Amino acid sequence: MPPSLLIALRFLGARKRAMLMSLTGIVFGVAFFVITQAQTAGFEAYFIKTILGVNGMVRIEDRIQSTRAITATEGSSFSIAVEGSVKYIPGIQHPKVVIDALNGFAEVTAASPVIRGNATLIANFREYDTKPYGIELDTFLNVSDLDTQIIDGSIKAFGESPYALIVGARIAKRMNLQVGDSVLLDGPGEPQRYRVAAIFETGIDQVDRERVYLHLSAIRTLLNKPTGASFIQINLLDPSLAPALAPRIEQAVSHSTMAWQEREKTWLQVFSVLRISSALTISTIIFISGLGMFNTLVMIVVDKTREIAILRSMGYTRADISRIFMLQGGIVVVVGVVLGCAAAALGTYTLSHIPIRIRGIFASDHFVVLWDPWHYVAAAVIATIVVLIASYFPSRRAARLEPGAVIRGSSS
Amino acid sequence: MSLLRVENLHRHLGEGDTRCHALRGVGFTIEGGRTYAIAGHSGSGKSTLLYLIGLLDIPDEGRIWVGDRETSRLTDDERTAVRNEHMGFVFQFHFLLKEFTALENVMLPMRKLGRLSEEAMRAKASDLLTAVGLGDKTRRLGTQLSGGEQQRVAIARALANDPSLILADEPTGNLDHTNADRVFALLSDIAHQRGQALLMVSHNPDLANRCDHVFRMQDGVILA
Ligand SMILES: Nc1ncnc2c1ncn2[C@@H]1O[C@H](COP(=O)(O)OP(=O)(O)OP(=O)(O)O)[C@@H](O)[C@H]1O
Ligand SMILES: [Mg+2]
Repeated sequence: MPPSLLIALRFLGARKRAMLMSLTGIVFGVAFFVITQAQTAGFEAYFIKTILGVNGMVRIEDRIQSTRAITATEGSSFSIAVEGSVKYIPGIQHPKVVIDALNGFAEVTAASPVIRGNATLIANFREYDTKPYGIELDTFLNVSDLDTQIIDGSIKAFGESPYALIVGARIAKRMNLQVGDSVLLDGPGEPQRYRVAAIFETGIDQVDRERVYLHLSAIRTLLNKPTGASFIQINLLDPSLAPALAPRIEQAVSHSTMAWQEREKTWLQVFSVLRISSALTISTIIFISGLGMFNTLVMIVVDKTREIAILRSMGYTRADISRIFMLQGGIVVVVGVVLGCAAAALGTYTLSHIPIRIRGIFASDHFVVLWDPWHYVAAAVIATIVVLIASYFPSRRAARLEPGAVIRGSSS
Repeated sequence: MSLLRVENLHRHLGEGDTRCHALRGVGFTIEGGRTYAIAGHSGSGKSTLLYLIGLLDIPDEGRIWVGDRETSRLTDDERTAVRNEHMGFVFQFHFLLKEFTALENVMLPMRKLGRLSEEAMRAKASDLLTAVGLGDKTRRLGTQLSGGEQQRVAIARALANDPSLILADEPTGNLDHTNADRVFALLSDIAHQRGQALLMVSHNPDLANRCDHVFRMQDGVILA
């Protein structure tokens, strides 16, 4: 063992109680930091997973119609973007053409056309306003998690009947609907009778309260829309590709195209603010421990002034003395981070098993956590920086002591 | 070649009104295997001189040779290395590190020098403590030893790296007559046996006169 480490350990022992306080602070600080990050990141990740499973990674909507001035340059790659010169025409007139064009994008793994509208659901002598979604089941399952959102009935039953319906959990509850019940949907086209094949729950309140899924062919009659689609929902190899890809798709297919990050900006911002503010709040625990540590080290330096002088006289250099005090900080931070991370892992595990019913922006029956090694790294880095700063000044003070002056002062 | 030589040392201490010319041109040489005392009235500059020789302080003027090495241009780290290897200090207050046992205290200078294995350091420290009559108390902490015993541990520690020069500032100042006598005899015997030089500041004229040579100081100079 290098002598400075040995001396550091013994000096720490001299202020055991004060050092244990700082150590405890660092352990708690690190643990709480990781736990709150695991939790906020967990909720964020779960929210993203939910939202992607419901509304997809990228949506192509509304056709972009250029004004005359720009169509005049048709044929050349030259284009002018002028505010107000672009008109959006709702919906997609030729979904097949657009989907075919998507074949040119290797990142796109699936695309599915959807028709959206409004209809009144009538059952048990009551009426309820819904937003029916006409889907092409096979492809839609590739761009959503509809299959895992089913809480009653089955996707299979839906697939087998052209007049089957999947209703949101909140609608089912309000209208007292069971799988197998018959309901009437009244839209701009012809009213039609459907059978409830399944009930889904996404956890997103608004979706569960107003959305019903029916087959594309059925919704055409219901809404009197014999052709086209309202939007095309797209799945990618990786959700993180969406922001870069969306503008390219938009250019290629001349339809407004939005990535999920853009669409869910508000919520994503809420989550990131939450994460940063909890990180800052919890970091204060670490800062305060650092302050305590600083105090204790200064006390040790004052306490050990003669010992430092005698160590210097017997051949320990300024760097050795400085190292003795930096090492005291180092020992505390290493032990603190190790214990803190262990406590964090235990706490995160326990938290993830605490039952709590969450509905509104996603559905969960327990705390959601995200295991991310970077949370541990971040906590360790913060603790290390704080303790290094807290140890630096006392160690410098110790190193600067003049052994001659100290010994002269204490022997007269 | 002499073990240590000083030439025309001057040292001012304090600032402003309290500034005082503590050393006014001191010079002498010290040979190995001999004992030297610095005697003189309080305030005559004895400690100041000893700290300069021990490279714990820097003279305003004059030179100090340790062996053939002139020390005025050495860096702090180099001076520290010279102390580690060539000098052993004993002060009026023993300055044992109280979290360490007697044995560990004696091992501290050896650890810094880093020339011996852990076992060899242990054995040597144990021998040194036996030599100062504490062979049976090596595992005691400083707080579990009497004042005289602590001072003997400090002597053992000063001898740890076989220094060529032992510098002692009133090593017996804090001890009763019997203990003072023992500690002095110990220092003087060891110096003679091992060929080390002892330079000791002492108020005690009796002890000073038992040294091979006495420097008498007055007002910052050594009287002929
Ligand atoms: N920090 C200081 N500032 C100003 N003057 C000082 C300082 N330290 C010591 N002195 C003065 O320097 C002179 C020499 O001091 P020094 O400690 O060397 O004396 P000494 O011979 O060791 O005395 P003693 O026998 O009492 O230990 C004294 O006159 C003292 O007053
Ligand atoms: Mg003195």
